[in-house]
Amino acid sequence: MILPVNNLNTKVQFSADANGGDKKKPLEYDHDTLLKNNLMTRTRIGMDKLTNAFTLYPAKGLKGSRNANFYEFLTMGTVPYLIGSATLMAVFNTNKVFPHFDKTVAKPLGRKMALGVIFYALAKNLSKSFVSTPIKMMTGIDIERPYAKVIYELPDDVNDTDITSIEYHKVFESVEFPRWDLLYGDETKGQKRNFRYDRIAKKLGMGQNLNDSDQEVKSRIKEIVIKAGLAKNISSYLWAAVGVCMAVQKPWEKYFDYMTFKFWKKDEFLKSMKVFGESFVKSAKDFYKGEGKGISKHAGKILLGVAALSSIVGTSFALSTSNKPSKIDSADIIKKDDRYVVN
Amino acid sequence: MNSNLIQNFINNRPTNGLLGQRNEKEPRKKPAPYFNIQHEVNKDLIKPLDGDGRLVNKNILNAPLYIVKDNFYNTKAFKHAVEGKANDHELGKLSNVGLTLGGLGIAGYLFSKRQTPLTKGMEFIGLGSFLASMAIWPKLAIQLPAYLIHGFNVQKEYIDSSGRKKPFYQDPQFLPWDLYSDKEIQKIGDRLGIDKNIKNRRDVIQEKMKTIAIQNNTLWMLTAGFATPIMSALICNTTEPYFAKFLNDRKNKKADKILNNLEQYSNKYQNYDIQNQLESVLRLYSDKPLDKNFRSNIIQAFTHNLDRVSATKVEKDLNLILKSNIEYNINENAGKQIYQNLINTFKENGIRKEFIQQMLPNEEGIINLLKDKKLLNTPIPLSKFRNVTTEVTQLMRTLVDKYNKTAPASLQEDFDYINDLISNNRDSEHPVRSLISKLESTKISEKTIKTLTSLAENLDEFNAKMYSLDEAAMLKIGSAPETVIANFWNNSSKEIVELFGLTPKEIEKVRSNRVLLNPLLREKFEKIASDDQLYQKVMKGLIDKVAVLNEQINPLTMTEKMFQKELPDGKGEKPIIKSLYEKVVTNTYRETAGQLRNQKLDNIASLLVGSKNFDSKISLMNLQKSFVSDRLLGVKSSFYRLINTLDFYRRIAKEPTSIDNLGTISREVKEELVELCKIITIEGHASDHATKFYMLRNPEPANDTSSIVVKNGKVVNEYFGKTKELADIGNDKYFYQNAMKTMFEMPLDKTTQELIDNSPIKKELVNYRNLTLDILGGEKYFAKPRHLVRSINNASSEIKFLITGIATDEFFFKSCRQLFNTHYWKKTFVRFGAGLLGVTVLAQFFFGKTKASKKGAVKND
Repeated sequence: MILPVNNLNTKVQFSADANGGDKKKPLEYDHDTLLKNNLMTRTRIGMDKLTNAFTLYPAKGLKGSRNANFYEFLTMGTVPYLIGSATLMAVFNTNKVFPHFDKTVAKPLGRKMALGVIFYALAKNLSKSFVSTPIKMMTGIDIERPYAKVIYELPDDVNDTDITSIEYHKVFESVEFPRWDLLYGDETKGQKRNFRYDRIAKKLGMGQNLNDSDQEVKSRIKEIVIKAGLAKNISSYLWAAVGVCMAVQKPWEKYFDYMTFKFWKKDEFLKSMKVFGESFVKSAKDFYKGEGKGISKHAGKILLGVAALSSIVGTSFALSTSNKPSKIDSADIIKKDDRYVVN
Repeated sequence: MNSNLIQNFINNRPTNGLLGQRNEKEPRKKPAPYFNIQHEVNKDLIKPLDGDGRLVNKNILNAPLYIVKDNFYNTKAFKHAVEGKANDHELGKLSNVGLTLGGLGIAGYLFSKRQTPLTKGMEFIGLGSFLASMAIWPKLAIQLPAYLIHGFNVQKEYIDSSGRKKPFYQDPQFLPWDLYSDKEIQKIGDRLGIDKNIKNRRDVIQEKMKTIAIQNNTLWMLTAGFATPIMSALICNTTEPYFAKFLNDRKNKKADKILNNLEQYSNKYQNYDIQNQLESVLRLYSDKPLDKNFRSNIIQAFTHNLDRVSATKVEKDLNLILKSNIEYNINENAGKQIYQNLINTFKENGIRKEFIQQMLPNEEGIINLLKDKKLLNTPIPLSKFRNVTTEVTQLMRTLVDKYNKTAPASLQEDFDYINDLISNNRDSEHPVRSLISKLESTKISEKTIKTLTSLAENLDEFNAKMYSLDEAAMLKIGSAPETVIANFWNNSSKEIVELFGLTPKEIEKVRSNRVLLNPLLREKFEKIASDDQLYQKVMKGLIDKVAVLNEQINPLTMTEKMFQKELPDGKGEKPIIKSLYEKVVTNTYRETAGQLRNQKLDNIASLLVGSKNFDSKISLMNLQKSFVSDRLLGVKSSFYRLINTLDFYRRIAKEPTSIDNLGTISREVKEELVELCKIITIEGHASDHATKFYMLRNPEPANDTSSIVVKNGKVVNEYFGKTKELADIGNDKYFYQNAMKTMFEMPLDKTTQELIDNSPIKKELVNYRNLTLDILGGEKYFAKPRHLVRSINNASSEIKFLITGIATDEFFFKSCRQLFNTHYWKKTFVRFGAGLLGVTVLAQFFFGKTKASKKGAVKND
């Protein structure tokens, strides 16, 4: 069922190829490329994935395209997440036609729930950095490092000449098959081949100027990435729970009275932002202090404590790898450049 | 477990190796055997092991097994991740564990914040329904229709050789087709309508299955966001009444258990609070003399949880115990202080210094007096403290008399005046008594300790029982969400609105405006009353629903007394049967009061049950009883009012001539009367009876005394509403009396009577009507002063309020509002959900027929 790909006969052009042709705008990357992990790149990737998730991938999927793949399926996971959040907000806020008194009672509750949905997503995503940032600082391993992957697809038909596409992945997305190759330096640009691995080895306390730093650190990186993945998976949902519980506090009701997104009405918008800040602080205090007695009073502290603990313990645990360097005395290590006499 | 291929080869290879084996064969120089490449490959070369993967055939029977296996796998995945050895699949599974943990965190937190069992439980039901919806939607809307339309499971799972369970079509670029047997694929191909005679039929079928699966997976992603929250909300909505009923039954049984086993149950509430506090106070003074704080500490130990009124009573009895049992010690210093206090008092009142010198020469005199009278350094009970004052004043009298005998008449002093200067002081300023608070007392006597301890034990035990009784009462009739009576009210009020045939459109129209509701309600009542079949149905439904309350809160367990009077049966008056709650309350209070009276603690005892000199109606025992009876009275009156209102409309609809029994009255007045009654029964509120019902009438009614005419439940007014000059006729007492008689005194309609005769609530309905006449009809301000149908009874406004019950229109208005909100919300999302399901299913009929797949299939044929 694979269509023959024949450049000569079908005039298929690889648009990823910078010299591919004049008519097509060449893609940004012509080979798998390591990207910087900064806000701009993350935003660009996020926007690209979001746009595709709502447009290109559903279109391909609904046609049953032979090129549909697992990446697209996973990326489309954003769709139910966002639509679900909006629907959840709608479910709790369908009270416009309620009698006035009922509406007055239902409104703050619905809005708190809607705020909870937003806080869930924010806390879940932001909390991942509670694990990844310390790991990056302590070990030099950037578990969120993105790269652009160039995909060559099968043409849908003889007129389909654009058969390349870009996917955005992370270097350590797969713990079984990390893209080690992308972490090597480009010697044509004057980079040391192992400079990234050297840096990690140094931070991991494995010494400097190792001959094969890449081979030395790979097993440790893998272990750290796995443990960090576990910490992220568990802690991010617990932080998300903290977000939801923060949103159900009473002080938010004041913010709802001032809430406006009309940024062109400067005074109202600034007031709204100010009250948001105040409500946030008060809600955080209420959440932490609690009210009543027993579990009701301490539930906030417990949840916050468990979330914080999951991040701290998870990160510490990830940093304490078992694949540590051998404790063999350096005198017992055979050095390649030295001469030895075998008795 | 997978084998190591290289190791297998090394272990199983021929001793001489591959080449050696060949060398061994060559010298034989036999004719070359038939060469079969497959045979050779299979014989010597390393080859991949056979795959160990298999398709998962999940069904209802083996689903629990897979749940267990999945959890076991997740546990193993967690262990591997902790060891830093997990694979991608295992880490992915742990994400689901995180999702569940986070969900439990949210549900747990909100659970702790909710006040009632239902709302607490619903937090976890909400989480469960959300997770269930995520799983159910793809099965219901994607998997099942796709299977029915295309003949295969687009959400098929498989377990790979490493034991990892994955969706078969998860990655369309890697589909383990070898797991499907040819027979299975061909069968699916038949369902898909693939030509049986084409080449590579299996490939074509597989391609089509892949296309359909990709399309379905995409559809799943596009619809799940809408479907999951809506499904979850609808599941919660549907589950809630069942869960509420379960909790309601549990609560009801628990309350019954408490009343039947009070002694045993009260142990749970026994916290020894007073005993503990008393013990700590006594321990504090075990090795030191009592001081001024002792008394207040003791009182605090007993009264810290009491209201002010009760605390005052307890304080009185405690003071009696302490006064009669604590002993004080007057030493020399105290004697000197008494002397000084007296001097100061006299000086402040302008008594001459010379006279004071004569009356109170020095401190020694006082000290010697106390010594002589054996009051110095001897424990004196508080009750005998007045002896000190008496002895001192006696001494002073002697000295004043002595002085007066020798002094000139102009300088003589009146001892009564001197005495007044001492005795007319409050305790805190009294020269002698003010000393008490500063005196060191001796140890508290054993007798006092015993009395206090015994009191503390009694009160702790009593409190535990009270908490238990409060709990039982609260569970059944508390004015709070989710009590048995609140649940009954909520459920039955909605059912009654439906019983009266208010349509969703009508409910929507009147939901925000009570003024719009009244004519609608009147219309409904008149329609039901005029239709025999409908009336039979509605009245029976109404009676049955009210009877449910007596099933849930059995009058033998808990009741109001006023409606329980036995109906006359010609065999004499029967006593009202006391409910279990009333018996238990009476026994508990009386038992404790008896114990307290034995200890001479009459104030506390009378606080509990009252005494001869004390109005027992406001005793705590009666408050405890009235908490239950008042609440039940108000709720039951509301429902009986509804029955009576419908019955009144029925009587007017079917027996309009019954009004004639009131006497010879102008037809115009009768029309006015019926109109007033129709308004009162639907709109009348407790306060309205005192202020509102001023009927604008014709001051000169027509002389026509014929009967009123009624058609379809409505009065065909011959006169009413046709006169322009109307006024309230304040002195027509018969008009308001007749209104009361018409509504509450006239016999019930025949149909109602038949229905009520066969119902367990007959006694209560009859008593309700009689009581309404007695209490509202005997109230001097109903509807105007002196317009009475019964003698003045001085009923309290609370009883009037309870007997009046909720106004019929208010009852319907509140219920309509709730019904509208629920219906609107449900209607919106049920419609949306059904539409979404329809679109999702419909879309699948077009799958597998798209341009792309057709082309692909054709090209490869």
